[in-house]
Amino acid sequence: MRDGQPTVLPGFGLTLGFTTFFLSAVVLLPLAALVLLAASTPLPQLLADVTSPRALASYQLSFGGALLAACINLVFGFIIAWTLARYEFPGRKLMDAMIDMPFALPTAVSGIALTAVFSVNGWLGRYLAEYAGIHVAYTRIGVILAMTLIGMPFAVRTVQPALLEVQRDLEDAAETLGAGRWYVFRRVIVPAVLPAMLTGFTLAFARALGEYGSVIFISGNLPMKTEITPLLIVIHLEEFDYRGAAALGFVMLAASFVILFAINLLQAWGRDRLVRRGS
Amino acid sequence: MSITLDQLTKRYQGVPVVNDVSLEIGDGEFFVLLGPSGSGKSTLLRAIAGLSGLDHGRIALHGRDVTHVSARRRGVGLVFQNYALFRHMSVGENIEFALRVRRVRAAERRRRRQELLRLVALEGMDERLPGQLSGGQQQRVAVARALAHQPEVLLLDEPFGALDAKIREGLRRTIREVQRELGITTILVTHDQEEAFAMADRIGVMNFGRLLESGKPQDLYTRPTTRFVATFLGAANLILARQGADGPRWGAWPASVHNSGLGIAREREVVAVVRPEEIEIARSRDTLCCSNYLGHGVVEEVLFTGALERTRIRIEETPDAPILAHTNGDGAVLLEATRPQFEQREFALSPGQSVTIGVRRAHVLPTPLSSFTVCAPNSSAAERLAGNPLLLDLSSRMKTRVRRHVEPMLGGSTPLRETPAPLPGTTVIAARAEVASDVNWLLEHGVEEVLILPEHAPSPKRVLIHWTGESARSATLAVSASVLRHLAAEAIYVDVLPEQTPAGERSSGIRSLLDARSEARVTHGLEIRTEMRFGVAAQALEQQLDESPGQMLIVGIASASQLTNELATLLARPRWPVLLVHREREAPAHSRSAA
Repeated sequence: MRDGQPTVLPGFGLTLGFTTFFLSAVVLLPLAALVLLAASTPLPQLLADVTSPRALASYQLSFGGALLAACINLVFGFIIAWTLARYEFPGRKLMDAMIDMPFALPTAVSGIALTAVFSVNGWLGRYLAEYAGIHVAYTRIGVILAMTLIGMPFAVRTVQPALLEVQRDLEDAAETLGAGRWYVFRRVIVPAVLPAMLTGFTLAFARALGEYGSVIFISGNLPMKTEITPLLIVIHLEEFDYRGAAALGFVMLAASFVILFAINLLQAWGRDRLVRRGS
Repeated sequence: MSITLDQLTKRYQGVPVVNDVSLEIGDGEFFVLLGPSGSGKSTLLRAIAGLSGLDHGRIALHGRDVTHVSARRRGVGLVFQNYALFRHMSVGENIEFALRVRRVRAAERRRRRQELLRLVALEGMDERLPGQLSGGQQQRVAVARALAHQPEVLLLDEPFGALDAKIREGLRRTIREVQRELGITTILVTHDQEEAFAMADRIGVMNFGRLLESGKPQDLYTRPTTRFVATFLGAANLILARQGADGPRWGAWPASVHNSGLGIAREREVVAVVRPEEIEIARSRDTLCCSNYLGHGVVEEVLFTGALERTRIRIEETPDAPILAHTNGDGAVLLEATRPQFEQREFALSPGQSVTIGVRRAHVLPTPLSSFTVCAPNSSAAERLAGNPLLLDLSSRMKTRVRRHVEPMLGGSTPLRETPAPLPGTTVIAARAEVASDVNWLLEHGVEEVLILPEHAPSPKRVLIHWTGESARSATLAVSASVLRHLAAEAIYVDVLPEQTPAGERSSGIRSLLDARSEARVTHGLEIRTEMRFGVAAQALEQQLDESPGQMLIVGIASASQLTNELATLLARPRWPVLLVHREREAPAHSRSAA
């Protein structure tokens, strides 16, 4: 690495030093503080804190909801990205710009907007409740809806450039070789954009897991039912129970790290397969 | 026949990108489609593969009509310029793709894969990924992949475009060997004439969506029938010569021309093709050893390119000097010549040197349009007319000259003083209210083709062809073919029958339509569509021309009187470009066909 050709930025030593410093100051130090704080709690109490039924229910909702939201985004994000990348239609640019809206809105605003639409008196929620008997606001469906909305731009924006890169020629080649549309989709297009889809999935999942602002508006925050872990942490904080908050935070941290690391490994493996060099 | 294309037309936003292409390719033939970018050759190839639809026409592969068969069932193999390999699959998986789709058993797949890898000289590369291979190797994989399902036809779309010269050479040879070994009918698309010469059994040259000519490489090179093919296949000097009863002349001196291609009794201007290697350069006229004297010139530029020396010579423009058709834009008229080493040793050239030029061999194009002469009552009007966009388009695409001629008689006030000198080439005049009198005057003075241009005529998308009087028929078709080769437009021959034609005579009208079509196709390689109208010719044509913008009319007449009688209303104030072809007597038949 070091002895390679000169690059635009100054040497390896300087950049690595900066990377380490930056990561430490912004990511590692606060995390270490959190771990220390949690570790200073006596173990039995720590275990009791993190395995209380209320905490367990909140994990289930937070991780399960985030996972489900990321899955929904994986599918619909792909479809949206496909439409935007492949077709030319009036209003395409406008639609393209609208994808980023959830990025720009303060999350509380998204939460309020969703509640206004999906509450029992809301524009849509009224009819859903009346005709389908589905209640969105103040239920787990609402939580997942908020998480989906917040993660959607990630899923679209990661897949879109990858789809633009898949040459039309690839599909044409597959077609002349006798492949049907579904076969082409499964064997040619999806493998080509899979790494990007995984990245989008990861980002959407991480974002949904950490989401707080919009979820608390639409979830109703019923303990054991619609209470997400971040909210439980805030509740602990409001009771000045910093140790309890840190303990829960530690669990979230550990779990999300394991999940993200696993997905990263999966991606690295996929990338390897795609551009294996040398040997 | 392996591949039969019948009048294929594909339009893009109204403009034909593939324009009435008909072609037959024999079993095991290696056919090269050659043309500049945008000539429609790739679109044609995609249409044969079934990847793009057609607006008109039929495609048959091995006698089976596949016009409406999807790409996946056509049984063609297609190779792309950018390889289009599946990057997440290994070389072996790529090659087996078509077999996997067809659920071929694993053992059979493996056997086929080994066979194909041997064929393209990539044995043992099965497990590699495309990303690990060089460009040349990737293209070999693409060829193997395209052959896996044993297609009836192999289509190659600029397969060497992304490769450097050395690798190109090797891959060319491989593809040619594979093609011979399998005996598979192949079409290769390229813009590189050297590649076309190196690989083709037969070459088809395309421009503006039309297939202009097809034939053996040598025939096309030595005896092209169109100026586009003459200049696109190798370098060519286009020289305007006078064709008389006693044969063609360079300026004032007789030229010996092989295979003149035209049987013309009357004196007229023709276009001669002189290849750079057919030009002899000598110190003086007496030392010319084996060629006809062409003229004097001054060496402008000498380039050493290894085997050959390329020279550009400025011809002195004296009244009896030959005229180069092509003006290279800035008005400089330079003759291109190449000389082998031994001639360089015998007579070394340097810029500024005065030399004598001879021509060993020339070929006269059978095109009736040689050059344009703009004719206007005063010089500013002539200048304005010479700047007409359609005329500029036509002359630059035809690589020919636009001369200016001031003729006070036009506009019709001054009495005639003397008989003017004959105007060479096609006469161009501006459209105005009494343009008919201008035309009459020109016809009386021996002009045979008159192009009438309105001031703001868009480049035509459609050209209507019509003639009154059979003597103008073949000349009109020849002129139409010549014009249409340089326009992205479709051609329609319109026959107009009187309103009360009895049913019995209508069939003869239909027969004349079919005759016109087959003559255009056989003699000029031009595909035209035909339409029959009823009523008065001038009115029917006018009505059709006013239907939509971007149309042009080519009309043949046998006598000037037809102009004042039958077609008077057409010329009252033309809003579209009109090209008049006047022939009192039929010219002798062409000695050779364009096909």
